[in-house]
Amino acid sequence: MNDLVVKADQVAKVFGQGEGQVVALENISLQIERGEFISLIGPSGCGKSTLLRLVGDLLSPTSGSLEVNGKTPKQARLDRDYGIVFQKATLLDWRTVTKNVELPLEIMNTDDREATISDMLELVQLDEFADHYPWQLSGGMQQRVAIARALAFKPALLLMDEPFGALDEMTRELMQQEVLRIWDETETTIVFVTHSIPEAVFLSTRVVVMSSRPGRISDVIRTVLPHPRDEDTRDSQQYYERITEVREALRRDEGSS
Amino acid sequence: MASFVVLWEGYKLVWNSFGWIEPVRPDNVVMPHTWDMILELFKPVRRGGQLLIVDLSARSFWTLREALVGFIIGGLIGFGLGVLFVRSGLAERAFMPYVVGSQTVPILAIAPMVVVWGGQLAFPQWVSVSVIAAYLTFFPVAINTLRGLRSPDPNAIELMRSYAAKPKEVLWKLQFPAALPYIFTALKISATASVVGALIGELPAGFQSGLGRALLTFSQQFAVRSTKLYSTVIICAIVGILFVGFITWLEHRVMKETRRVESS
Repeated sequence: MNDLVVKADQVAKVFGQGEGQVVALENISLQIERGEFISLIGPSGCGKSTLLRLVGDLLSPTSGSLEVNGKTPKQARLDRDYGIVFQKATLLDWRTVTKNVELPLEIMNTDDREATISDMLELVQLDEFADHYPWQLSGGMQQRVAIARALAFKPALLLMDEPFGALDEMTRELMQQEVLRIWDETETTIVFVTHSIPEAVFLSTRVVVMSSRPGRISDVIRTVLPHPRDEDTRDSQQYYERITEVREALRRDEGSS
Repeated sequence: MASFVVLWEGYKLVWNSFGWIEPVRPDNVVMPHTWDMILELFKPVRRGGQLLIVDLSARSFWTLREALVGFIIGGLIGFGLGVLFVRSGLAERAFMPYVVGSQTVPILAIAPMVVVWGGQLAFPQWVSVSVIAAYLTFFPVAINTLRGLRSPDPNAIELMRSYAAKPKEVLWKLQFPAALPYIFTALKISATASVVGALIGELPAGFQSGLGRALLTFSQQFAVRSTKLYSTVIICAIVGILFVGFITWLEHRVMKETRRVESS
């Protein structure tokens, strides 16, 4: 069996036509194995969110080949192979926490939803807030609901687009811990877009460093930090070395472009 | 309400005591006392006839029924257009100019046509009146429904797409609930518009039993007894207020459990 969840070969994405044409991504080749935690990092406009949307078939590549779970991205989307979490929680404010998590299950018409929902709420530690409305929750809690919703139908792949970008530093570190725990428990493959170097290093198995104009992959750095990662990891020598390595990779690109 | 009475009577008092007649002559024909308007309701319409309030209540029932039917027809058409336009940009570009154009033609020009057509189709008079009310009703509903259906965050649309949701599911699970506050705002506007449409529609339709007819009759008797017209205007206003009040009540019923109604 093919154990690659994402296989991109020479993928490019161009927006617009003629004079106003913008090359968002060029020559993207990347393979993501099952169970990996991949971060995409780079300056604004490097196309990291675009790459995430190509994988999720929310956009189509202009050229090159892209496979998700051994299928076309479209087929993978139709098969509900991935869950997605945005920077904004994007909860439906007329639905309770339970009902929000139920939304994809409703659409997919799955059985035994109640059990799934209570499992998910336990996973993100929000079981006590099942009947609350989104506006009654803090930003961090809303984002945890969004994660529960994305995982409710057990997708093989979790796409996260700067999911903690709008949270304060304290909450952010807690959420990083949470998402690592969830990753461990669910064995999902995660593709995570971020602006934060420490976040990328702390979470990932590999950090994909991107550069802009046009967006391309300039470096892929394996973090080789031991698992499970916790607060001690943040103090370790290795952690700092990896952060420096990613930072230097980002600087190198800035210098060359 | 109380402040209106104070302003009205205050104006009469001050203008009379200084003998001013501009901008409006403060005599008892042009500006009758507010209490005379109310008392008029409890006098017979004509010698030996029923009380004005009894007559106007019966008329209110007819007018309100015309308005309500027109409101429902117009509301459904407006909602349907909103859904059609949000689904098809082509339909929006093709039909929106006509929708907008329809509202710039004065209702007074449209109403007689509707009455003639309704007559040829052998509709009862009140149905023609309802169609005229619907004509004034559908536009705010169409525009606000469209706006409301487009209100969800682009990420929410992407989210539905990631679930491979069908267009029907996107509409009913995301766009429609998101549009509800917009739709209720439109319904409140349309509730008043449908009453105005019914009142105006009664005239060319030659419908004798409604409030519109009473407004016409009593305005012809203005010089003799202006209080009748004023009383009828008050009743018309009450009908409109009750209608909007009902929609507001409905809005709270629908949204109470699911939204922060108390904060809006």
